[in-house]
Amino acid sequence: MTLGKIADDRADHWGAQFRKGCLEMAILASLWKSRLYGLEILRRLERSSSLGLAEGTLYVILNRLKADGLVHSEWVDAGFGHPRKYYWLTTSGKDRLRTMARFWVQFSGDLDALLEPVLSGRELASVHR
Amino acid sequence: MSTDSAMAAVDEYLARLRKAFDYLPSADRDEMVEEVRSHVLERIEAEPCLTEQLVNGILRAVGDPEELASQDRTEATLRRALKTKSPWVLLRSTLTWATTGIAGVIALFVTLTGYGCAAVCYLSVFLKPFFPSRIGLWLRPEHTLTLGYWDGRFSGTQVYGISVRPPALFVLGTLSPTEGPVRELLGRWLLPVGLLCGALFAVGTTLLTRWLIRRFGPRKRSKSPRLELTAGAVR
Repeated sequence: MTLGKIADDRADHWGAQFRKGCLEMAILASLWKSRLYGLEILRRLERSSSLGLAEGTLYVILNRLKADGLVHSEWVDAGFGHPRKYYWLTTSGKDRLRTMARFWVQFSGDLDALLEPVLSGRELASVHR
Repeated sequence: MSTDSAMAAVDEYLARLRKAFDYLPSADRDEMVEEVRSHVLERIEAEPCLTEQLVNGILRAVGDPEELASQDRTEATLRRALKTKSPWVLLRSTLTWATTGIAGVIALFVTLTGYGCAAVCYLSVFLKPFFPSRIGLWLRPEHTLTLGYWDGRFSGTQVYGISVRPPALFVLGTLSPTEGPVRELLGRWLLPVGLLCGALFAVGTTLLTRWLIRRFGPRKRSKSPRLELTAGAVR
């Protein structure tokens, strides 16, 4: 195995760990405006983020967020299809998300400034696209 | 692929999921399995043509049950431990935690020692009426105090239990055999003293273990971002 391959593997691992760390915030953020059930949360995450999670991970994290009192949930049987478990943010969930968002904006802004010289203008534009 | 064989594949997957998440309280586990079931069925029903490959792909996208559980097991077990007073749950939780790092190993050692001492106290109280001359608080040579069972020998004496020798010796188990007399100090008073000490050890260990989990558990490190980060702190 070449050093370059090892470095690539480590970068992949770092990326996976980083995405994992952001999942909780992303899931809370997807619930900011409305009540959603699992599949809707997944679709929203797939549409607006590059988190790429195993679908089952969502339910593990939702279970944890519920145990921490950050989300409420309720089974709803609409009379067609399967009953769905809807989630929404509790007051402390909203507070936690605001705190996370403040931290994220400040942290990412600082890092953006630090990383700006690392990538060329074209690369930066393609990343943001 | 027939609907029956698709359902059989889904049921088999859900059974694996249920088994993998056996560390969760049964109500939480059942609810999560039901939720995943609903998720999988909705995915399947959205497909116009049912094939084995498609069902397997949907189940693969949900994730391998054992892998999903492994991400959560330690944290969920410790979270449950924070809400319990059960020594058994706390011991199992610290045992799971111990597989992840040195903090867990230390917590397991502390918990085992604490509950071990409580067990010695209660066992002494229970056995005293049956072996009144062998169970007690024993004063041995070199000012060693041992609560527990004396083997009855006057030479090569061993006493099993909790031993304390000021200023710094504390042993749960037995010390090396000693020569010389042993003297029992408490008599029947062993019963109330043993009950009290057992309760103190049990309650103290429960509180200490829960504090260790709160202070050093994995959730503590990953739960919330440090908010005191000031503008430009990473520059």
